Amino acid sequence: MVNIIWQNPILLILVPLGLAFLTPIIGLISKNFVKYVPVLGMLFNLILSIILLPKVIINPIIISIAGWKPPFCINLFVGPVGIIFSILISLIGFLVAIYGINYIKKGPIERYNILYLLLLTGATGIVLTGDIFNLFVFFEILCISSYALVAYNQDKNGIEAATKYLIQGSIGSAFILLGIGFLYGLYGTLNMADIAQNISTVNSPTLFIAMALFIAGFGIEASIFPLNAWLPDAHSSAPSSISAILSGIAIHIGIYAMFRVLYTIFGINNVFTFLAIVGIITLLIGEMSAFKQTNIKRILAYSSIGQMGLIIFALSIGTISGISAGLFQIVTHTLSKSLLFLCVGYMIYHTNSMELSSLKGLGKRMPLTSFLFTIGTFSLIGLPPFIGFPSKLSIILAGLKAGGILFLILIILMLCATVIEGVYFFKIVQIIYFREPEKQDRIKPSFTFLLPAIILAILIIFIGLYPDLIHNILNKSAGEFLDKLSYIKTVLGG
Amino acid sequence: MNFLYQNIYYIGAFGLIFIGLYMAAAKKNLIKIIIGLGFIDTGINLFLIIIGYVQKGTAPIFSKPGLNPAQMVDPVPQALVLTAIVINVAILGLALGLAIRLYRHYKTLNVRKIRGLKW
Repeated sequence: MVNIIWQNPILLILVPLGLAFLTPIIGLISKNFVKYVPVLGMLFNLILSIILLPKVIINPIIISIAGWKPPFCINLFVGPVGIIFSILISLIGFLVAIYGINYIKKGPIERYNILYLLLLTGATGIVLTGDIFNLFVFFEILCISSYALVAYNQDKNGIEAATKYLIQGSIGSAFILLGIGFLYGLYGTLNMADIAQNISTVNSPTLFIAMALFIAGFGIEASIFPLNAWLPDAHSSAPSSISAILSGIAIHIGIYAMFRVLYTIFGINNVFTFLAIVGIITLLIGEMSAFKQTNIKRILAYSSIGQMGLIIFALSIGTISGISAGLFQIVTHTLSKSLLFLCVGYMIYHTNSMELSSLKGLGKRMPLTSFLFTIGTFSLIGLPPFIGFPSKLSIILAGLKAGGILFLILIILMLCATVIEGVYFFKIVQIIYFREPEKQDRIKPSFTFLLPAIILAILIIFIGLYPDLIHNILNKSAGEFLDKLSYIKTVLGG
Repeated sequence: MNFLYQNIYYIGAFGLIFIGLYMAAAKKNLIKIIIGLGFIDTGINLFLIIIGYVQKGTAPIFSKPGLNPAQMVDPVPQALVLTAIVINVAILGLALGLAIRLYRHYKTLNVRKIRGLKW
């Protein structure tokens, strides 16, 4: 019996949420222990997610809350997609929490930890829930805590970026709520499986409006092309640990929510061709903007926009191999971009400047950090043997398999964007290694920085060498997205 | 005239939403933009309430015997609105807090002049 209670997926949401609210009390008892609270919470989530993984692959777990059967209750749907995202969230959350122990110096650490845990709770809730209004609530938890965390340092840039992010983000969430209102008006239910079952009973323009509202609303968080003005500022002005979380997790959650609603509720339709084109435009705009920046964190932020475009393109192909490639790219981007932000944060911590010129010769002053940074950039460009290579290759193969002259053109554009990406990343690596440093001192990296960065780098190389390890689970997840009927059947029964 | 009479609530709700969107997009003063966000949220709350509204309906509690379910107001949208109001309070509070901080840094609330980063 104990065994069953400890393996309940509801704990994935409950434990971080509970710890977030207990943090001030723990802070009263022990100032020292409170630093480690997010580390423990995320370690628990990571272990539980990995324990649940083999079970979930065979059969998705449905948790009904308050003793009612779906669709009359709020239910959790723990499928392969949910558990993959949950593992990613808790892994990055765990590593960045270790990084944050010594990185966050300013302000009371309790405040940072509460917001940090709430952000991760929101993210985990979004990927596990099966109820559309519950998804909105978790989405708001994620958004509000990320607005506050962007402004955590309370400096000029951080506050300004957070204000911009808040205004655009809350308009986005208003659109989502409006879309939910339309769906409820049409179907009289909030359960995603129930809506999906009845979606074809109504055929009115209202349905299209609702879909457009969802795309626009989640698109702001996922930073698809015309809606991404907030991202470069927010990701570059936040503390680097938060940039890693935002770039590694928050925007992918926006994409997950968008495609969960599109695939599961609305099913495959013409909008995916539109999204594929928008994805490639986002990719090109992101990479070209990154090319002309001189601020290292802004380069990474624009590169995130580009990668989002690539992921949206892959997920919009609409075949098993396409979705599986898109999810693979999400894994790649999460690991590589978090690693890059952690390294850059550590470099900025010592050089006190975000300009590219201040990185000159860091290869001699911080050899290990520079080496880890280089691994991250090579992985994002897509060089073997890093994880970026199999994921980009699988996107190209999936696009070619989908066929059609349109996808061929889009793939050519995608390769052009990759070349641009390669140029500016190589430029940074060249500045780091082949320019003379201003000072000659060696900076010894601290343990709390090295541990997360090295774990990320090992994962990047390991999965890059053995991509078949996660291939199976990615295909299962793609199946979950595409197989709407079995989703409905699993939730509603019969 | 009949159309107006039947859809007056919807017109009101979407009117509020569009006024809010206009304010958020066109106004220069940060406080006005935040008020615009408040308008959008109010409009959406109104919209959600209308979805489940029944003319002369009552609360769905079986207090009187023989109460017809058709005369009851749908309680789910009202629960949604309650949640949405709480969320909006949090967002507007945070927005006003950030506006105060921004004013301390820049001594102005005009968003055209706040250009530390590229807008």
